[in-house]
Amino acid sequence: MSKIICRCEEITEDEIIEAIASGASTVNEIKKFSRANMGLCQGRTCRKAIERILSKETGQKLENIKPSSYRKPVRPIKLGLMK
Amino acid sequence: MKTYDAVVVGGGIIGLSCAYYLLKRGKKVSLVEKNEIGAGASGACDDMILLQSKAPGISLELAIESLEIYKNLSNDLGMDIGFHTRGGMILIDKKEHLGLMESYVDSQRKYGLDIEIIDKKQVKKKHPYVKEGIIASTFGTRDSQVDPMRVMKAFLKSNLDMGMDLYRNKNISEINKLSSWWQIRFDDGSSIETETIINAAGSWSSDIGKLVHVDIPVTPLKGQILVTEQLPSLGKENIWSSDYIVSKLKPELIEADSIDKRLGIGLAFSQTADGNYLIGSTREKGNFNKNTTYEAIETLTKQITYFFPILKKINMIRSFAGFRPLSQDGKPIICEVKENEGFFIATGHGGDGIALAPITGKLLSQLVCHEKTSMAIDELNISRFG
Repeated sequence: MSKIICRCEEITEDEIIEAIASGASTVNEIKKFSRANMGLCQGRTCRKAIERILSKETGQKLENIKPSSYRKPVRPIKLGLMK
Repeated sequence: MKTYDAVVVGGGIIGLSCAYYLLKRGKKVSLVEKNEIGAGASGACDDMILLQSKAPGISLELAIESLEIYKNLSNDLGMDIGFHTRGGMILIDKKEHLGLMESYVDSQRKYGLDIEIIDKKQVKKKHPYVKEGIIASTFGTRDSQVDPMRVMKAFLKSNLDMGMDLYRNKNISEINKLSSWWQIRFDDGSSIETETIINAAGSWSSDIGKLVHVDIPVTPLKGQILVTEQLPSLGKENIWSSDYIVSKLKPELIEADSIDKRLGIGLAFSQTADGNYLIGSTREKGNFNKNTTYEAIETLTKQITYFFPILKKINMIRSFAGFRPLSQDGKPIICEVKENEGFFIATGHGGDGIALAPITGKLLSQLVCHEKTSMAIDELNISRFG
């Protein structure tokens, strides 16, 4: 069983590698293709791990890998609180 | 120097689909993207293949044809693209909308769509959590959805397997017509040559048009969407409010100074295959600012909790915005440019890019191969803008 990398969406290392094999070469593309980074925490836990996997699989230098985007709201918020 | 039969400009779902159908015909294809795959509208959208929202005429015909292709696309691409048919309902909560919606449904039924108006009892039965006071709703069985990210992934994988060259992060600085082919120059000084160019650059397609002196009347329409946490299903059918259709058909019925009008909001509410609900959407004219705004988040929240009060208790986890490439008359542009032989356009899909991607790619490949198109698309020619 491959390691879980994104805990929110339960995405494994194999699934991330598969997204890269399908043509993803940036963290945002991995996010779109695998859903890793797309959960409640927006990648706070897993983004570094994903960047490392991407670097290892594609040979891109870590310092050249652009982080994926954050979106509002940074933390989940109840819809009833929006007034 | 690399040479190609076709260079597709734009790595969104339309460009990927065009490339796919050209590769399937044995063409040597490359795709040029100035950012990354799905960086524009295709990666910031909802998931609907909605027939009910399409105006009777070519828009509806295209959607029906595209839906047929989508049904088998997982098999064709060898990857699950998350296609589902859940049906759709357009909730009617204002008396003054009822007459307009009835005649709209009639005109769609004439196209053979399986749509009816159901009363409030039936609405409650299908969607028990909807608020009291809904007058009626449309109900259509064929409205479907697909995971746009998976569609792009599957197209990209198939395309790369068929030998497509992909140029990411490449800005085109010049497009030059040589005797019977084209030269595309990038701002890093490199260049490629091709027999044909397909401009599928979405909201940026008018910029590409300018490089060959073709005026493409497409502007960005900003759509902001909210994402909820993953939830059990509230009801099978995806939901729209009649404001959405009325604002398309008879905007004068929407209160003139309202925020809803300024933001162009008509509620669209669908559950993704993963359980998140998408709450959309604004339709804002103007700029390329990709940030979501507090005003829009607040207004969308107000709308959805008005129709589904139970949602007050659940979490929004994200908001995002994308730019729908809106043509001047709202219909897509799919054609070869007459005075620029070998320069093709596939853009202007507005909010229907996901729904219309497969049929657009298929028709475009027929144009490039100089075949009779499988449906009449003369009215999608850019020449209609004079």
